[in-house]
Amino acid sequence: MSTETVLGLLVSVIEFATLLYLAALGETIAEKSGVLNLGVEGMMAFGGMAAFWAGVETGNPWLALVVGAGSAMAFSMIHGVVAVVLGADQVVSGLALTILGLGLAAFLGESLIVEAPRARFDTLDLGPLADIPWIGETLFSMSAVSWLALFAGVVTWFVFTRTHAGLKLRAVGENAAAADAVGTSVTRVRLMAVGIGGAFAGASGAYLTLALAPGWTEGTTAGRGWIAVALVIFGAWQPGRVLLGSVLFGGLIALEPRLQTFGVEISPILVSMLPYLLTILAMVLLSIRSRNRPSAAPAAIGRPFRREER
Amino acid sequence: MGLRLARRESPVRGGQVLAFAVGLLAALVVGAALLAMSGHAPIEVYRSMFDAALGSPRGWSATLTRAVPLGLAGLAVAIAGSMGLWNIGAEGQIIAGAIGGAWVARLAPDLAGPALIPLMLLAAVAGGAALALGPAIARARLGVNEIITTLMLNEVAIRIVRYLVNGPWKDPDGNNFPVAPVLPEQSGLPTLFERSNIGVVIAAVVVIGVGWYAARSTWGYELRIAGSSERAAEYVGISLKAKLFSVLVVSGAIAGLAGGIELTGSSTRLVEGVANGYGFAGIIVAALALMRPSGVAAVAIAFGAVQIGGESIQTQGVPSAISNLLQALILFGALAAAVWVNYRVVRTGRSVEGGAGSAAAAGAGA
Amino acid sequence: MLAVELVDIWKRFPGVVANAGATLGVRSGSVHAVLGENGAGKSTLMNVLAGVYQPDEGSVVLNGEPQRFASPADAIACGVGMVHQEFRLIPTFTVTENVVLGAAPTRLDRGSLRAQVGELAERFGLLTDPGRPVWQLSMGERQRVEILKALWRDASVLILDEPTAVLTPGEAVELGRVTRAMADDGRSVIFISHKLDEVTAFCDEATVMRGGATVAASLPVGELDASRLAELMVGQATAVSQRRQRAAQVDGEQSPALVVRDLRVRDVHGRAVVDDVSLDVRPGEIVGIAGVAGNGQRPLADAIAGLSPAEHGQVVVADADLSTASPAARSAAGLSYVPEDRLGVGLAPRLDAVENAVMRSYRRFARRRIVDRAASRAHTEGLIDRYRVKVARMDAPLAGLSGGNLQRLLVGRELDEKPTVVVAAQPTRGLDVQGVAAIQQILLDQSAAGVAVLLISEDLDELLALSDRLLVMHGGAVVASFDPDDADRTAIGAAMAGAVSTEGVS
Repeated sequence: MSTETVLGLLVSVIEFATLLYLAALGETIAEKSGVLNLGVEGMMAFGGMAAFWAGVETGNPWLALVVGAGSAMAFSMIHGVVAVVLGADQVVSGLALTILGLGLAAFLGESLIVEAPRARFDTLDLGPLADIPWIGETLFSMSAVSWLALFAGVVTWFVFTRTHAGLKLRAVGENAAAADAVGTSVTRVRLMAVGIGGAFAGASGAYLTLALAPGWTEGTTAGRGWIAVALVIFGAWQPGRVLLGSVLFGGLIALEPRLQTFGVEISPILVSMLPYLLTILAMVLLSIRSRNRPSAAPAAIGRPFRREER
Repeated sequence: MGLRLARRESPVRGGQVLAFAVGLLAALVVGAALLAMSGHAPIEVYRSMFDAALGSPRGWSATLTRAVPLGLAGLAVAIAGSMGLWNIGAEGQIIAGAIGGAWVARLAPDLAGPALIPLMLLAAVAGGAALALGPAIARARLGVNEIITTLMLNEVAIRIVRYLVNGPWKDPDGNNFPVAPVLPEQSGLPTLFERSNIGVVIAAVVVIGVGWYAARSTWGYELRIAGSSERAAEYVGISLKAKLFSVLVVSGAIAGLAGGIELTGSSTRLVEGVANGYGFAGIIVAALALMRPSGVAAVAIAFGAVQIGGESIQTQGVPSAISNLLQALILFGALAAAVWVNYRVVRTGRSVEGGAGSAAAAGAGA
Repeated sequence: MLAVELVDIWKRFPGVVANAGATLGVRSGSVHAVLGENGAGKSTLMNVLAGVYQPDEGSVVLNGEPQRFASPADAIACGVGMVHQEFRLIPTFTVTENVVLGAAPTRLDRGSLRAQVGELAERFGLLTDPGRPVWQLSMGERQRVEILKALWRDASVLILDEPTAVLTPGEAVELGRVTRAMADDGRSVIFISHKLDEVTAFCDEATVMRGGATVAASLPVGELDASRLAELMVGQATAVSQRRQRAAQVDGEQSPALVVRDLRVRDVHGRAVVDDVSLDVRPGEIVGIAGVAGNGQRPLADAIAGLSPAEHGQVVVADADLSTASPAARSAAGLSYVPEDRLGVGLAPRLDAVENAVMRSYRRFARRRIVDRAASRAHTEGLIDRYRVKVARMDAPLAGLSGGNLQRLLVGRELDEKPTVVVAAQPTRGLDVQGVAAIQQILLDQSAAGVAVLLISEDLDELLALSDRLLVMHGGAVVASFDPDDADRTAIGAAMAGAVSTEGVS
């Protein structure tokens, strides 16, 4: 096994981890506020399609990323209105958002399938750092979007634990009535969290169609959105752990096509099941561990909030 | 001055049907806008969709055939939903059912049809139940959330079938396509009319029978008590764990049957796309039926028509995604409208001058 | 000028008028009691003042300024803080996080916030560890966190909604000191209660409510005495406040219908919440169980009904040992249970009246596991008729019914099974006056008919009025037994506070 193949694997791990982390971080934010959004896959597809279109139109990858994130954010507001404002069931609304997003992206993106990608991201030039063996060729040569994802993770962690806004967001996700009683607008916080989650999912989709697999075809998201949903649970709703999970699951995805190169005789298809099975395993272990104390999940997740019910 | 939702003293009578109608109408309007935007004539498209799905015996045949997996998946979801559980895994359970059926056909390819078909369907039921077994045990014994576990197993199931048709079960004469060998001829379900087979009858019996049983039996009643309040169920002597377990496994079994009927009825071999999104659509069907097993059949036929109509217009250059779009839009419209069934909108606070009087009047009038 | 003036407040809920022209005036720097029976509208009025509810009519005036609160946030901004009966705390958050939530700087410096919360707590004598997560705290400590929340926002008006219900007597005295410290600091404290002794001990003035309206405003507590207060709270002396006529002669020789022996129940933390309880109830007898909330009454009732497993001990109903029987088997053997948590345990809010009414008896209405609809509907109509339940629609979810109607349905359903033993936990809590009277009458009728009744209540007056014997629980054990006819309230109070020394108990 050559240095080349190992380096290729590591670069690929970073790429897939970036893709997953962006979406999973967004879902973490939404779920921390008490809103389960199973629409990640649909938001990714919609944002990815919009970003690719913007990239073809303008040739500017950053503008395209913003378009992808923004349109997915707007799209996520369907879930916001139906599940948060009107208080409909979050599971149904989220799944319908996925079906709608996949359908809408396929419908609107039909003419884009033939287009060649024009906008590509550059790697961030870190000068001499990029010359360090191994690390320089992988970590310090990664796309600016990867840095952005990492930065977003740090910001999210900081906001969650060190700011009042984060405290309110977590409070709304734990006990909406308690947060409401001290003057926090539950609906506004949740709408914002869903919107931010949508923007991150859109950014993830944009990274997919602009960088990881440039181009647009129906089904290009290939279930990555579901992995993102799994990652939130696997990472116990903590930005840092979700990052670790993203690297692990990204690593598994990156390994799939390379197994044979490494002389492993397991079907890559079987390996691709691992993220889902690991998540189930993590859930089982978490539930055993948290028998006599509050679980790691936001307590109010999935519960619509309405004041003055009697 | 703001708006707020207040619970009605009792739900609007017949509101659910109205909510569905509003959802359908909203979906058609939004769909029309999208069609017009992309250069198609909405009325024309809708008309040809309607003709293809419901305008001829042939169309009805296709619609009813499609309603089979949708209805069974919807029933699977609704049965679990009547206990307040979410089986998001119908998609995977359909696949597991199809795998089970195909496995029997591999083991006993020479069995006569009247023996082979029931065995395949039974294996399908077992396959769906088997995939639901893990989430059922985890939920009943450890309280692990079944939404996520069933969801995860969808992705696992689709990879299992992908593995099978790319690996051990790959058809050597399949021109390297990822498909399993063609099933023995006698495994096909007998035709009923046009292109419909007796799968329609089997599904109708199951959907109506199970729906009736859930509505009228002590089992279904106990599920509803447990779904409304776990403590209340315990209090009247219902074993929650047994109910959790049995309802999830039954739910998986019903979805598995859908996979078996798809395999023996609509396709000639096991392929990766055997579930084709029916499991997810089934969740929408169940939601629109308000999680009542008795309402599933009608919604499933309506959705079957939308799907068949949507697929038929591809020939006119309209993306078939329009049918998925319409289904999701119907649900969103209906979800929004359903809020109105249980809640009314009231104005709140902060009117400035003379606020007391007008607020009092509003309060008294409400 | 008054710190708080509530003028002619009206508030209606579906099927209930909770406030009908209620009025309140509170001086600044005073502790003001709002008294009234359960259902008198105290909580609703306070929720109006705290911005939780908007009044249908009437005005809220603070320091001479009329206010309209659209939300609790508005009220907080005007200096009104409220400690609700159910705490609104976030279990996974620390004390500090709970206190500062909604009123903190953008950037959280956790160390300095913790120090500030600690200081504030110390200033008012509210002992607590600012760094501990709330789920580890006792009920008394949680209440202190709620009070800290209001003080952190510099509330000039603090409403405490039945604060002593969850406290031990020692903690209640402590709370009295805290409220005095707050009043001395120039704040106004509104203290909701229905217990006279607390009011005279802690408060300066008292306002009495009945049926949603104010019947006496701002009485100096010195002028209050028990009989006057009772008259104000209940109206004319009713049957409720009187000792009942002993309806059935309880035959001491008769063998008990319910026997509980050495029953012990442990909670999830391994504490013995029911600690070797033994008691007997004879046919026709009402045995009352008194005690401060949280001293094992609820787990005792649940364990007798079979809802929570006992570590050891016996439960015998009509000579049948049911110690390990399921709840359904106990029910079948003649034990009926009216649980404290009506909507959560006794009834299923999303199901309709028929489905709720046959919850105990549906197996009787089923043939080959199919429920006979006509029979169950007829059964329900009978119940509704006999127990005067007002139901708008038989097929609508039960959630819309008022508390009194829910309780009538629940009690009716349980008693219709012709039980030999009834365990009733807090059966009249939260009901309006007629509702209370109706439920009490049903219990009396049952005992007159020879049913053994175990009545668990936090309302001592109710217990004294209904019981043939009164047991007091403290710390999970039965610590004293009284004859209601010549019981000394002080002695009962002392027993509830755990001041009775029994051998082996320190």
